[in-house]
Amino acid sequence: MAVAAVHSGGIAGHIHPEPQGFVRRYVFSLDHKIIGIQYIITGFVFFMLSGLLAEAIRTQLLNPNGGFVAAGTYNEIYSVHGSAMVWLVVIPLLTGGFGNLVFPVQIGARDVAFPWLNMLSFWIFPVSGLMLFASFLMGAPTAGWMEYPPVSLQGEAGTSMWCAAIFLVGVSSTITGINFVVTILKMRAPGMTFTRMPLFVWGQFATAPLLMIATTALAAALAALFIERQFGVPFYDPTRGGSPVMWQHMFWFYSHPAVYIMILPAFGIISEVLPTFARKPIFGYKLIAFSSMAIALAGFMVWAHHMFTSGLAPFLQLPFMIITFVIGVPTGIKIFSWTATLFGGKIHFTTAMLFAIGFVALFTLGGITGIFLAAIPFDLHVHGTYFVVAHLHYVLVGGSLMAIFAGIYYWFPKMSGRLMNETLGKWHFWLFFIGFNATFIPMHWLGVLGMPREVATYDPQFTFWNRFESVSSYLMTISILIFFVNLLWSIRNGKVAGANPWGGRTLEWQIPSPPHYYNFKHIPTVYGLPYDFSQPLPYKGLEEELTDSPPPVAAGAH
Amino acid sequence: MTAGSLAHGAPAEVDQLYVETRELRLQGFLLFLISDCVLFSSFIFAYLYMRNSGQGWPPPGIQRLDVAFAAWNSVVLFGSGATMHYALENFKHGHWMRYMWFLLATIVLGLGFLGGQGYEYTHLIYGEHVTWAGSGIFGASFFTLTGMHGFHVFIGVCYLTTLVLQSAAGVYTRGKYFGITAGTLYWHFVDVIWVVLFSIFYLL
Repeated sequence: MAVAAVHSGGIAGHIHPEPQGFVRRYVFSLDHKIIGIQYIITGFVFFMLSGLLAEAIRTQLLNPNGGFVAAGTYNEIYSVHGSAMVWLVVIPLLTGGFGNLVFPVQIGARDVAFPWLNMLSFWIFPVSGLMLFASFLMGAPTAGWMEYPPVSLQGEAGTSMWCAAIFLVGVSSTITGINFVVTILKMRAPGMTFTRMPLFVWGQFATAPLLMIATTALAAALAALFIERQFGVPFYDPTRGGSPVMWQHMFWFYSHPAVYIMILPAFGIISEVLPTFARKPIFGYKLIAFSSMAIALAGFMVWAHHMFTSGLAPFLQLPFMIITFVIGVPTGIKIFSWTATLFGGKIHFTTAMLFAIGFVALFTLGGITGIFLAAIPFDLHVHGTYFVVAHLHYVLVGGSLMAIFAGIYYWFPKMSGRLMNETLGKWHFWLFFIGFNATFIPMHWLGVLGMPREVATYDPQFTFWNRFESVSSYLMTISILIFFVNLLWSIRNGKVAGANPWGGRTLEWQIPSPPHYYNFKHIPTVYGLPYDFSQPLPYKGLEEELTDSPPPVAAGAH
Repeated sequence: MTAGSLAHGAPAEVDQLYVETRELRLQGFLLFLISDCVLFSSFIFAYLYMRNSGQGWPPPGIQRLDVAFAAWNSVVLFGSGATMHYALENFKHGHWMRYMWFLLATIVLGLGFLGGQGYEYTHLIYGEHVTWAGSGIFGASFFTLTGMHGFHVFIGVCYLTTLVLQSAAGVYTRGKYFGITAGTLYWHFVDVIWVVLFSIFYLL
């Protein structure tokens, strides 16, 4: 039977016929690498838009009385900025973007388990993004990215649009999560046991169940909010028997796991970049892998630490505080493992490595303020102030976004076949690093002094530091512009990278850049961990990957 | 595809690729059911949260729900679970006609359940003036959750009808019938959700 000959390697051995034509190749593509790149491009477009909103916020805060935009518009701006950065930038870039781009190759698969669902999942994403930004046309949401009722119940029509947009992008996330779980469980190459998977795959493996489970909880909360706004069915309105605190429970039951959705893949990226450029085996492989799972699991049990000021019973507050502290342990394990990886390594300070080291530093700071905030007495004092803003930007920008940049500089050669310019890259890093810290460090003491977040004006005593922050934030914008220039320039003019410019040892570096649509001519067999520098590569069956020989079969459609 | 060819024909060809994609689809489908389960769980949480918010239950001015009628309606739905089970088993053993009859019976019972729910809704809305938007958290939680469940049953009925048409067109063979497996899983899932909803709305 012809089928048996083609599928000697099982489903992983199956090679689809190469798609023909621009549309099937690059627009409605089924190839996980193309879909990953589509996610990355779309994500960065939304990143630019919500970055502009961030600069509008900082420009407003140049003066205590604002004056750049009206106070109502200011509310719309920070609400859409937060929503877009979380749901349209960080989550899609880290899961749909880098996840699709890298992990199927790293486990030795030819594609994800459900390529059609993957394409569907991608195409939902730009549509929902446009819907979110279109809410400006009908009065954007004004209650922040958390959209607490009753304020969100009183918002303009755009709040309903916001519900629909976030619901849709949640559907996209859920599909991606299901797809990734099945792919990692069923499509690993022979010999790729769980304890031989690269740590980026572990990051995705810890994240995907969160995408799949937590996001549906958010879907329920959003559906109820939408129903209440459109049909007047009371869920959250306290005057009609509903409970606004219920929204907070349902929202944070999703959104606390969501912060791990936004950081676990980033941990994965860092765990790839650090050993490659320190030329040293990663320290504590199993600890890093299992601590990701521990974080994912514990992430479901801490949501109410966002609600210490919402009137939670004290006997409930205490366990939430303690479990939140406990999450610091697996996170600390990672930080120490990365530091130990660097210790005694032969460090190559490429741009990707700079971002990875910057990540470790800034994420540690953000994590420590997270421990502060978990302590109920301290949280009661700074809840709703700029201290929280500083904390969340240290973990989401200093953490997730730095990891995204590290990942872009690291995998750009694999995507395009060319290296990014290192000089521009270093300008990008240093301007971004300095600008970021100068923008967000003062927010810590502004918060402790009591400057409330999400307000269009502020007390004149805070003027100096707010101006300092705004000017520093422009520095970040300049660095981002340098990054985009570098990106566009390098696609055409970068140095040709070759298959493995960094000396990486995971599977994606053993095949050409950019890879063929089928990834591997022959599915390799895996004999060990990818991080043992100085040992021969633990793979067999890759001899033909870098030669011109054709793939063994181009099987017919099925 | 006739009954004879399924029951007595040559052994079905084993398509290795199909066997492996079947595994993937099965896992993917189970994960989908898990995430759907979370959707129901969230609404159930919301219902229990509102129910325990100190207003008493049912809230003042609202009658307790009619357990007897809903119990009979539940029997209809659980019966459809049984017929769906026999449909799948008969298909596996090649009894094609019995499979079709059991499948049709499942559809009829599913429609019967929906009809019963429609009757109950009509009675509540026009008889007792309990509505979705106008009866506070009682109407909100009851109609949203049972309505969402009813919508799932409706989707299931559509799915099973598609199965009937596909089976008549010979889409499924003894070696390739994942669509029927998925339909069965989904139908049982919807049944199990109803067990929970019946308990917390009518019995609790």
